[in-house]
Amino acid sequence: MTNKLEAIAGAKDEWSDKVLSPKLSKLEIAESPTRFYSPLDLPDFDFMESVGFPGQYPFTAGNDPVPTWQARARQMAVAGYRYEWGASGSGKYGGFATPEDYRDYLLRMHDIGRKGGPNIAFDLPTQCGYDSDSPWAEGEVGRVGVALDTLRDFEVIYEAYTGLLDIDKVPSNFTINAPAAIIIAMYVALAEKRGIPLEKLRGTPQNDILKEFVSRGAYILPPEPSMRLFRDTLVFCTEHLPNFNITSIGGYHMREAGATREQDLAFSMANGAAYLQSGVDAQLPVDSFAHRFTFNAFGGSMEIYKEVAFQRAARRMWATMLKDRFGAKNPRSMMIRQIATAHVGCTSTTLQRPLNNLIRAVVGGLAGAMSGGVPLAFPPYDEPLGLGHSLEAQQLAHDATRILIYEAKVCEVVDPWSGSYFMESLTNEIEEAARQELEKIDKMGGAVAAIGNGYMHQAIAKSAYERQKRLESKQEFQVGVNCFDGPHELELSTSRTVPDVYDSELLNTAEERQKAALERVKRERPEKEVARTLLELRRQARDGGANLLPCILDCVKCYATLQEICDVLREVFGEAKPATG
Amino acid sequence: MDQQKRIRVLVAKPGLDGHERGAHVVAYGLRDEGFEVIYTGLRQMPDHIATAAVQEDVDVVGLSILSGAHLTLTRKVIEKLREKGAADVMVLVGGVIPEEDVPKLKKMGVTEVFNAGTPVKKIAEFVRSHLT
Repeated sequence: MTNKLEAIAGAKDEWSDKVLSPKLSKLEIAESPTRFYSPLDLPDFDFMESVGFPGQYPFTAGNDPVPTWQARARQMAVAGYRYEWGASGSGKYGGFATPEDYRDYLLRMHDIGRKGGPNIAFDLPTQCGYDSDSPWAEGEVGRVGVALDTLRDFEVIYEAYTGLLDIDKVPSNFTINAPAAIIIAMYVALAEKRGIPLEKLRGTPQNDILKEFVSRGAYILPPEPSMRLFRDTLVFCTEHLPNFNITSIGGYHMREAGATREQDLAFSMANGAAYLQSGVDAQLPVDSFAHRFTFNAFGGSMEIYKEVAFQRAARRMWATMLKDRFGAKNPRSMMIRQIATAHVGCTSTTLQRPLNNLIRAVVGGLAGAMSGGVPLAFPPYDEPLGLGHSLEAQQLAHDATRILIYEAKVCEVVDPWSGSYFMESLTNEIEEAARQELEKIDKMGGAVAAIGNGYMHQAIAKSAYERQKRLESKQEFQVGVNCFDGPHELELSTSRTVPDVYDSELLNTAEERQKAALERVKRERPEKEVARTLLELRRQARDGGANLLPCILDCVKCYATLQEICDVLREVFGEAKPATG
Repeated sequence: MDQQKRIRVLVAKPGLDGHERGAHVVAYGLRDEGFEVIYTGLRQMPDHIATAAVQEDVDVVGLSILSGAHLTLTRKVIEKLREKGAADVMVLVGGVIPEEDVPKLKKMGVTEVFNAGTPVKKIAEFVRSHLT
């Protein structure tokens, strides 16, 4: 082996002298802009240790020897079944205006064959713990998602899910973090009302509060009490909701906020470790809950080689951490389960020449397929044009995915880069860089400390600015943005011929209608019960050992509002302060 | 040491929107362009923003909004600025602003709208050419 490597090293020197250097001289450049990898870049490669077979530790090659969707791909095409790629049983992420408006939208989607479970986007007041009648809510009600104040609103949304689509049959997805405990309680209350056993409930709350402090900004309480609420949801779900996921950890949001690849990976691992530790600290065996952790498509950029390596490195890092640091025994606990793998991320899309975004998304889809996931052509091309993807853009995205699967057949090989000198080197490099960053955070005392002292937040802000500087100084290029633009620009308008999915008239009147609905609920609910349950919540919140979920469940069942519950928590725990650095 | 007073800019995030990348990039970028920049951080009520603008004696308020609530929030900030006698402060809006809303914002008193992806240099040049 060594002899062979020596021979290759000799050959490389010769190639460098006789082939590469003359070419560089001819081109009048000192350094090559390209690289070529050989066995010299991967001298100690141990396949079983670094890669392994798909579906086995350390999961570098993927979670699954045969992805279920791939096994059913032919049947789905023959039957014309419009699978919502990348949504694992729930439908397209969406939500707008009032619960009634969103319910009607869902029913329209069912009518055109899109029958996945609800994948709910909540408006900002809901995400930040304010009711629709709060001064904070002005202008924001029903904008980035559906407005939700009380259990009534939840019940209205779910009028679209009965019979064959009842909640014991379809999963739900809730993009909710700070008030995740309240939304989980509402889901449980709904199941109780419908007589559905809790063990039948499937779904995923985002419930990833730590990244809110560094990237998404929808926090309510300071980091430490937020982790108390996380622990309470983890314990409650583990005890009562065996088929419901606990969290969906999102490096994706940090990347969108500007994090580098290594920061994304290290911060996600650090946040994940903090969540795992909270379960361990609550005396639960790690294998009793770690398999219910999911990830939210983390990663996201146009550099597809690096994104493929990122996914492979992430799977290996998480698996190693679960096994070595947390002592997990169940392989399922060690997997990064996520709806999609590599993709381009929304910040790669541009407002200029929006159809180019479709091409960008296809590149991401290819990376997805090469990194153990669905070739998801995400996002739809009209992402930067404003809220709500048009049906036309959605269909184009779905078709791009279908073309990659059925025509390009990109998913016929699992981990096609396995054993490549190049990809294995790159995977090692990215893992090593993230590991160094993770060690730095561990030295600070872990994720909660690195959030509390502002480290993660500032690091991401700086990285975002560095990238912008590279674009403005043309060290990096974005087509149609900082190159190939200029005087010959065509005057184009993007024709969105299919009507908008979110009716702007409904959006404009949502705030008034939702406030009226809230007032009605407040008039009709058992006021004494509301006061009693909120008082009990205040008492229990002060007892650090108590699990607040049963208490919150009592509050929502008598139609206490989201803000009333959050206000009690704010009073006991204080509020998170925005960073200005 | 500057002979001329440096232009002072308040970069503000009104409402509940948590998209901070644009605000960070613009704040850092304008600082590098030689402006005095104050960043409010997330979650500011329009009234807080107007108060900060007056207290800090800024020439420009840059509002970053990507939540779709730009019409309501911008109107409120401008109203509050007028109430506090700071109607002469230049108001700029950045974020994801649909084309059809740009004239509406300008009618309210917004001097210019810069959508996501605008080079910071372009914003800096715009401000300089309008204030000096």
